[in-house]
Amino acid sequence: MLYYICSSVTEVCMEKSLKKQVGKNKVFYLLFLPIAIYLILFSYYPFFTGLALSFQENKLIGKKGFVGFENYVSVLKDPNFVVAIKNSLIIGLWDFFLYFVLSLVFALMLNEVRLKKVRQGIQTLAYVPYLFSWSVIGGIWALLFDVRGVVNQCLGWFGASPVFFLASPQFARPLIIGMGIWRSIGYYALLYMVAISSIDTEIFEAARIDGAGRFSQIVHVILPQLVPTMKTIIVLLAMGILTHFDEIYVMVNPANRNQISSLLLYVYETGILSFKSGTASAGATLVMIGTLVVTQVFRSATKFDT
Amino acid sequence: MEKQTRLKKQDLLPLWLRIIGMVLLAFIVVVTGIPMLNVLSVSLSTAANSDSPGLILFPSPLTFEGYSFIWKFTNLKQPFFNTVFVAVVGTLLHVFFSSLAGYVLAQDHLPFKKTMVSFVMLTMMIPSQLSMIGIYVLNKQLHLLNTYQGLIINGMVTGFSVFLMKNYFEGIPRSLAESARLEGASEFTIFNKIYMRLSLSGFMTIGTLEFIRKWNDITMTITLISDMKKWTLPVVLRWLLFDQAETSGTSYVYQNAKMAAVVITSVPLIVLYFFTQNFFKEGALVGSVKG
Repeated sequence: MLYYICSSVTEVCMEKSLKKQVGKNKVFYLLFLPIAIYLILFSYYPFFTGLALSFQENKLIGKKGFVGFENYVSVLKDPNFVVAIKNSLIIGLWDFFLYFVLSLVFALMLNEVRLKKVRQGIQTLAYVPYLFSWSVIGGIWALLFDVRGVVNQCLGWFGASPVFFLASPQFARPLIIGMGIWRSIGYYALLYMVAISSIDTEIFEAARIDGAGRFSQIVHVILPQLVPTMKTIIVLLAMGILTHFDEIYVMVNPANRNQISSLLLYVYETGILSFKSGTASAGATLVMIGTLVVTQVFRSATKFDT
Repeated sequence: MEKQTRLKKQDLLPLWLRIIGMVLLAFIVVVTGIPMLNVLSVSLSTAANSDSPGLILFPSPLTFEGYSFIWKFTNLKQPFFNTVFVAVVGTLLHVFFSSLAGYVLAQDHLPFKKTMVSFVMLTMMIPSQLSMIGIYVLNKQLHLLNTYQGLIINGMVTGFSVFLMKNYFEGIPRSLAESARLEGASEFTIFNKIYMRLSLSGFMTIGTLEFIRKWNDITMTITLISDMKKWTLPVVLRWLLFDQAETSGTSYVYQNAKMAAVVITSVPLIVLYFFTQNFFKEGALVGSVKG
């Protein structure tokens, strides 16, 4: 109210021109309307529904009563959820660390290959697994690590008896982590390669004139120039630490369940398969909060926003 | 920048480091290439050969019986065409609506643009995997469970694609649209005739990325589809590989047929990749900048 009373002539004019602007752009608002409705319905609504369900009873039909934090308490008391936290953290942190380091080393080594054809060939080949669905990766690894597969054959040369890799608890986590590396380092290396190729050649020239050898060029020119890319990759990877799902869903079986069942697998099995919407949503909300915290920790640790 | 002619000793790593590097790269090539070749060869082997121990890199005799078995006998046809349908239609709609939104947000002098931008940006902060339960409930209310429409509609507009297209459109000179406007062209004609034509590579980028996402999707499919007949390839493939023996028990699927299914699921993407390689780089670049 106060605003209108105090408004001066110029403000009235501005308001009129705003109205005029809006009127002129009517068609754009009309075009945006279906998008806005879509996003409210398919993005915002499921999010808030999930949040609301986490405070309600596990009931399929009829009105669900408000239960406060009961679902959160029961989810945290559920041994399956606790195991899932442990597995997700172990697999997630190993993945985070190994993806980051191995793809960086890979990109730096690849960058030293002088023949353009060879370099691009390797890069293309290494990217291919990133195209595959986790089921395809699962199939490839199932063949490799089959009782009669290549890996067991190699072990046979050293006199070892065949190992049932896919059904052995002690190999479950290394296999999942290995699959992730096999699939993803080509992709992250590509991000580094793109960043390396955009480094100003004059910087290399300057370092050369100063007598820097190739090794010190890598350490003093390439690595510092890659810092922004590293930060981005760290934050991208951090967001994924707690949200492993597809690969777990593909590879989980009764023998390795205790080692690899993840948080999102818990949410899926509790919510979609067992219809305990309240418990599952509470779990999902906790994962979301966890992800926010983890991402924020890495953001501030890398000074991402500065 | 190739500088082979001016290559001096100064520009080479010490020998021992170069050797380590080459060994490492060779290792990566072998470890990436051999498993893929292995899968391909097993898929082309006879059933008996494919189940015998050892590494098969060249099938002898070469046969397509694994393919015909998996295609007809276990009816992989059905999920294959399900996936093609969902991915193609889903991608077309995705490209259309995401670029439409990107086009609106690329307009300057649009009042409330900041609000609209953050409205879209906020949806990127919501990880779709985590609203799984909410998505299930919504699709149940809309009667989209166990339908292809459900798979197509969910994910039709994503913040990532909207902003990628917004950037593309902003790169097109304003003067083009202005002069068309002066000649009395409607906004839709301007969008259609100028912006669509000049942003083809943008469409290709979000199109290929979305096609791959839809083709490979597991999470959304198992959330929305419980009817096995409507499953998509990756979900059926998982079942064939790991569950089939326990749940059906009627027939044994040999290794060659399983690997044929792996090849069928992955080859369309490899073909697509070789035709659209440059757009991947572009998409990867934008994706990493957006963070």
